[in-house]
Amino acid sequence: MFIAPILADAGGSLLDSIRQTGEQFGSTWPLFLSNCVSFLIVAWLLNRFAYRPILDVLEERRQRIAASLENAEKIKRQLADAEAQRTRILQDADADAQKMIDEARTAAQAQAQTREQAAIAEAEGIIAQAREAIALERDRMLGELRREVARLVVDTTGKVTGKILTVEDQRRLSEEAAREIAA
Amino acid sequence: MMTCFSILTRRTRRVIGGGLLGVCALLWAGGAAWAKAPVVPQPATAAVEAAPAEAAAAPAKPEHKAEAVEKEEGLPQGAPLLIDTRIHGEPIQVNSSMLITWIVAIVLIISAQVATRRMKDVPQGGQNFWEWVVESLYNFLQGIIGPSLVRRTFWFFATIFIFILSLNWFSLIPGVGTIGWGVPNEAGALTHITHPLLRGPNADLNMTLAMAMLFFFFWIVWALQVNGVRGFLMHLFGPKGDTKGFMKLLMVVVFFFVGLLEIVSILFRPVSLSFRLFGNIFAGENTLETMTALGGPWFGWLLPIPFYFLELLVGFVQAMVFMLLTAVFTLLIMPEEGHEHH
Repeated sequence: MFIAPILADAGGSLLDSIRQTGEQFGSTWPLFLSNCVSFLIVAWLLNRFAYRPILDVLEERRQRIAASLENAEKIKRQLADAEAQRTRILQDADADAQKMIDEARTAAQAQAQTREQAAIAEAEGIIAQAREAIALERDRMLGELRREVARLVVDTTGKVTGKILTVEDQRRLSEEAAREIAA
Repeated sequence: MMTCFSILTRRTRRVIGGGLLGVCALLWAGGAAWAKAPVVPQPATAAVEAAPAEAAAAPAKPEHKAEAVEKEEGLPQGAPLLIDTRIHGEPIQVNSSMLITWIVAIVLIISAQVATRRMKDVPQGGQNFWEWVVESLYNFLQGIIGPSLVRRTFWFFATIFIFILSLNWFSLIPGVGTIGWGVPNEAGALTHITHPLLRGPNADLNMTLAMAMLFFFFWIVWALQVNGVRGFLMHLFGPKGDTKGFMKLLMVVVFFFVGLLEIVSILFRPVSLSFRLFGNIFAGENTLETMTALGGPWFGWLLPIPFYFLELLVGFVQAMVFMLLTAVFTLLIMPEEGHEHH
């Protein structure tokens, strides 16, 4: 109960003190309220003309930059994929080409071997034919030689002996001469 | 007592620009003619048309008080009234600081409107400047009070900073506080302006108190929006910590008294905020005036120059301090989970 007058007294002193301070510093209700209104008007108009549009633009720009970065990342990934694909295609093409070259080389080698073998076979055939021809020619020449030598032996024998050789003698002398030549 | 209308010659040397000089000349010409006649106490309505209201109303005040004010060096503590009248019984007052408030407000609003009228993807000029200011402030505040709170309160804190900074720096333009009315000395020279035409708004308690009280109002609104009434009261009086049994009971009592102290602290925030800003800017203006007076007629332009740089810094720091304190006060009343980012 006894606190109420003390508080009332203190409140009254405080109000007096506030009023005196206000008077000392030229503070009045009309000026105070007009300053409040001025500040609120400035705040409202700055919010309307500056803060909101600028923050909206900044947010929009931030989103656009984020989207651009995302796109750039996507493009980078696509580029990397394309690069990898290109490398893979090149590697495949390289492998294919190498394979084709190898196959061609193998085929060429095989063909060369075939041709070589064919040439060798042909050459061997030619050689064999030549040998055969040579052998035949030799046999033929040997036959002719035998015949000629037999004839010469017969003629020489006839001339040396001075008699006319019979057919039997001639045949015998020819055969002996042929045996001598063959030996 | 003789009240005259003229220009304080020693500081008008700092006036830059033909416009201000033209205004000075006009005021001087009008004042010179007026100074020849003794001032007769006039009704307040006549004073609105002919002279600053405070000068006209001076005789109505106690004589010793008026003399004491006019003989003081430096700025008067209260901004002089330029208009003090009643329209339909309602008091209408305009003082010298409100002129600058309106000029700065108009400049800010027009520049913001012009800068953001046609926004471009690649910002240039004014748009670039405003984007830099807004984005820097937004990121700065976001780092202090968090993303959710900054979305709700950015308009207020940004305006606090931009408006206070603009007012402080605009008040340093030569001519502010130096053009007005004063009392000539015995030699007939006017060496001190007692009723400046323009006065720094933050050197007027009305402006700083208005911003502080608006913050106090919005602080309560935001606190109630986020916490609710119960959460708000629990934040103030609720026991912190995890205690049980008798300790919990003790903590309830302790934190109830802590809450009372907290309320006292909260109630004094508008006082400290408003008087801190007012005191710093008022002292700065007085320092500039004192330095000009110390320099005398020849070096009055030189001596205040270093203090101009100091006042540029003080203007920025005070704007930052006001914004930071209000932001931190707001953060402190938010739920604890809102502090995690901090």
